Amino acid sequence: MKQIETELLVIGGGSTGAGVAWDAALRGFRTILVERRDLTHGTTGRYHGLLHSGGRYVVKDPRSAVECIEENRVLRYTHAHCIEDTGGFFVVTPEDEGDYPDKFKAACAQTGVPCQELPLKEAFRREPLLNRRISRVFEVPDGAADSFLATHATAQAAQLAGATILIYHEVVGLLVEGGDGDRRVVGAQVTDKVTGEDFIIRAAMVINASGAWAGKIAQLAGIEVKVIPGKGVMVAMNHRVVNTVVNRCKMPADGDIIVPAHTVAVIGTTDEKVADPEPLRIHPWEVQLMLDEGDKLVPGISKARVLRAWAGVRPLYQEGFTGQSRDATRALTLLDHQARDGVRGFLTITGGKWTTFRLMAETTMDMACKQLGTERPCLTAKTQAPGVEQGHYWLGHRLHAVEEHHLQSDLICECELVTRAMLQQAVLKNPTVTLDDLRRDTRLGMGPCQGGFCTYRAVGVIHQMQHETQGAANQAMPTTIQPTNADTGPQIWDVAHLQSPAHNVDAPHRVKMTAGASLADANLLLHDFLQERWRGVTPILWGQQLKQERLDELIYLSVMNADHLPRSESQSPLTDFWQFDTTPGAGE
Amino acid sequence: MLDLLVIGAGLTGLTAALRAAESGLKVKVIAKGLGSLHWSAATVDVMGYPAPSPVAAKNPWEGWQSLPAAHPYHRLGAKRIKADLDAFQAWTVALGLPYAANADPDRNTLLPSPVGAFRPVYLAPKAQFAGDVASRQPMLIAGFDGVRDFYPQLLADNLAAQGQPARSVLLPQITLTDRHDANTVHLAEALDDPARQTALGVALKSAVQPGERIGLPAILGLRAHTQVMEALTRITGATIFEIPTLTPSVPGVRLTAALRTRLDQVGVRVEAGMEAIGFNATGDAIEWVETSTSSRPIRHRARNFLLATGGVLGGGFSSDHTGRFWEVVFQLPLTTPQDRGQWFRPQFFDPAGQPVFSTGVAVNERWQPVDADGKIVYRNLWAAGGLLAGADPIQERSLEGLAISTAMAAVESLTTR
Ligand SMILES: Cc1cc2nc3c(=O)[nH]c(=O)nc-3n(C[C@H](O)[C@H](O)[C@H](O)COP(=O)(O)OP(=O)(O)OC[C@H]3O[C@@H](n4cnc5c(N)ncnc54)[C@H](O)[C@@H]3O)c2cc1C
Repeated sequence: MKQIETELLVIGGGSTGAGVAWDAALRGFRTILVERRDLTHGTTGRYHGLLHSGGRYVVKDPRSAVECIEENRVLRYTHAHCIEDTGGFFVVTPEDEGDYPDKFKAACAQTGVPCQELPLKEAFRREPLLNRRISRVFEVPDGAADSFLATHATAQAAQLAGATILIYHEVVGLLVEGGDGDRRVVGAQVTDKVTGEDFIIRAAMVINASGAWAGKIAQLAGIEVKVIPGKGVMVAMNHRVVNTVVNRCKMPADGDIIVPAHTVAVIGTTDEKVADPEPLRIHPWEVQLMLDEGDKLVPGISKARVLRAWAGVRPLYQEGFTGQSRDATRALTLLDHQARDGVRGFLTITGGKWTTFRLMAETTMDMACKQLGTERPCLTAKTQAPGVEQGHYWLGHRLHAVEEHHLQSDLICECELVTRAMLQQAVLKNPTVTLDDLRRDTRLGMGPCQGGFCTYRAVGVIHQMQHETQGAANQAMPTTIQPTNADTGPQIWDVAHLQSPAHNVDAPHRVKMTAGASLADANLLLHDFLQERWRGVTPILWGQQLKQERLDELIYLSVMNADHLPRSESQSPLTDFWQFDTTPGAGE
Repeated sequence: MLDLLVIGAGLTGLTAALRAAESGLKVKVIAKGLGSLHWSAATVDVMGYPAPSPVAAKNPWEGWQSLPAAHPYHRLGAKRIKADLDAFQAWTVALGLPYAANADPDRNTLLPSPVGAFRPVYLAPKAQFAGDVASRQPMLIAGFDGVRDFYPQLLADNLAAQGQPARSVLLPQITLTDRHDANTVHLAEALDDPARQTALGVALKSAVQPGERIGLPAILGLRAHTQVMEALTRITGATIFEIPTLTPSVPGVRLTAALRTRLDQVGVRVEAGMEAIGFNATGDAIEWVETSTSSRPIRHRARNFLLATGGVLGGGFSSDHTGRFWEVVFQLPLTTPQDRGQWFRPQFFDPAGQPVFSTGVAVNERWQPVDADGKIVYRNLWAAGGLLAGADPIQERSLEGLAISTAMAAVESLTTR
């Protein structure tokens, strides 16, 4: 079996793993990150989108609140372009507990979360759709954050500092050496999910940043780590009903936050212990609960059109904890397996929040340095991620660029304003296997029609690129991607500007693929993406969105007859994941 | 007093109105929107997949035993549908937008789709019909650089993979228009200009090889479609055919325009932008339907009413998160389960379709809506098209056949009362 040597191996391509790889590379370690699917495939790509001020945890979990507010300030500097500075409200509705608001105010002061009570008139002026029976409003520095962009930008920062990022690479075993009492993790066996090939990565230190999967990875070294998978369901509404993050001012519970995210508003979330991090079911009662609770903040929101529902699992960890997942701490946990289990060369970083990923990485790498016997300072808090010069995200960002540069007829995805050139650049500059990867890069297919128009267009554009490549090289059309392995040199990772139409204006119409960066067969891409979108809409299909879905059927069945296209033999490495039944009531 | 108020201006509503006017009735059409013709390929599909199958039905009149017992086709019968489609075809000829049919009336014709799959159709605009893959005559699929709703290489590769020889060429978009926000309708309009037809013809002439026919996106003229076809044929010396695009569908826009022109000529008003918001019934007869407009609600009285609001797609039905599913104008009884848990299957492309879409309004043998006991709901109300229970016209590829034939049958029923 092929072997690769490195100093640090990071398992998991969520916010935490990308953060660790960035931190490690900046400290000068030779670093490889492996992720079994695309970056943000895990919880990071299925979260609520809130840059916490810490306000939510000031009463219940002050340690977590302090971590949040400190990191909130840091991320506004290092990842400004991934954050919209919406601000946040904590509102007291008639149903909320009597003395909580005063406790909240006092606890904010104690934990250092800036908090100001607003006159109601001012609050309603800023958010006219808020429930008029709200009696008090506190303002805190919450924000809305794009974890797709942030994680990609962090991974690019890591790569600029020398790290290697391998997506579609799954850890299937850990290499453990030594006998009882002196065991040591020295690397991992990894499967390239696209080629099916196995190889070994040997490392001086292995960091387990696999989120809710951390227990499964630790198990590979014979170590028990009890992660509490706390599932949360979110629903995206078709309208951005608020421009400010709105939280209920009460003990954290279900459905008590609305986050404005790009052009939509997301209501969340629930917290339910589940056995496995995936696949995750979404039950009708969960969707109903989100709408009912949403109505208490913005009356009538439940009648608005719902775009999609999804679920993520919190990687919560509390040593010896047996209670409800809602009550487990949100603070980060670093497990030192040397002290805890007598296994050297292996750390698990879990718990925490998206908001605290940088701090989690710093804590982890401080410990790694200590165990490797070297002293190297953390540089992440003072290093800006690529693309940060664009400043904070603002809602009109894309529309402005499209109008300024007359890109209307270049729009491949009209809902999310993704231009042809953005799509082509995403294919060229970021390893891509499926259209879903391009969705995470550019927001393709995330709007009201959920892939109805853009799936066909994206497939057409990509197929043309494949064809141009083929014509040039005069060779058979590549049907699968070959992600560049550590020993064959770095891939081109340039994701900092993929979300910006203005940075992709002058791309020519005829674009060739870069060597190795090819995607699956066009018909499979089309099939898979439509199924992936279907999976997320079935829990909320009624009213306008059901009509939309019928239009998508008209396009893909009646006009295209796409269900009778010749199917290629090749299987997408992700197809199985999208076959999961998410129809209402499935499995009950 | 109107003899008939048709609610809905899709293919069903327009067909019903024209047929009724031809039978001497005083008719008016009201509609909220434009109907789904603007979205579809505007071919007339009768039956492509009566049962889940990897291959399309060769004969559209066979295999019906797999259709649900309540399918409207069982009641219509092949003979009646054939006759109705003959009548429809005659209209299209008279309207100057001739539709063509297979020489063998018991055969579907396979035409290229925008991704290069084979679409099973019964009638198609003449311009599309020349893309019949039966002859296997080689195709040059021509597209335009930067046109986002048509991808010739994808089309050609998929056609070739199924044994239809094809290659592609990308022409610079500037041949058509310099608009920076052009959709398919704009492009078609641009080609109404004879100078552009010539420029395109010359470009095609230099690309085509002997023995090839040329497939183009269905944007060959909006009002001057016939001239565009003639000009391109003359200049290239090759057979020219259209392939549908992503929406908006120019062939659908042309068909709607043609039918509406004809309705105008026979004195039928089509009032768009009118959403039915209420009605009144005395006893078991509907008296009027009320619509909302920007100025004030209007009441439309008539002796008879024909509901042609389409299914979920047309807006004839709505639903909510509790699983409630209703018919929007008359709150008619439906066969739809009031439970979202029974509406869907796990696969988007499930070959049996999504169950919710084959439910809807049940009718008796006279095309009158009935309740669960088979009792007529209103004695002067008829229903036709996509809202009928028992068919999933998109899944079966029976959308237009069902629309046209049920519309004609319902009108015949109400005139022979
Ligand atoms: C419903 C919900 C809402 C939330 N909302 C917020 C919020 O608004 N704000 C906030 O700050 N935080 C929020 N969080 C918390 C936050 O999303 C998570 O704490 C954070 O995303 C965890 O990131 P991670 O990198 O640790 O885990 P993940 O993102 O899950 O990453 C782990 C990765 O490891 C990969 N992996 C697993 N097994 C293997 C293997 N064998 N080989 C290789 N790779 C493997 C997985 O594919 C996955 O991509 C929310 C969480 C949930 C569940």
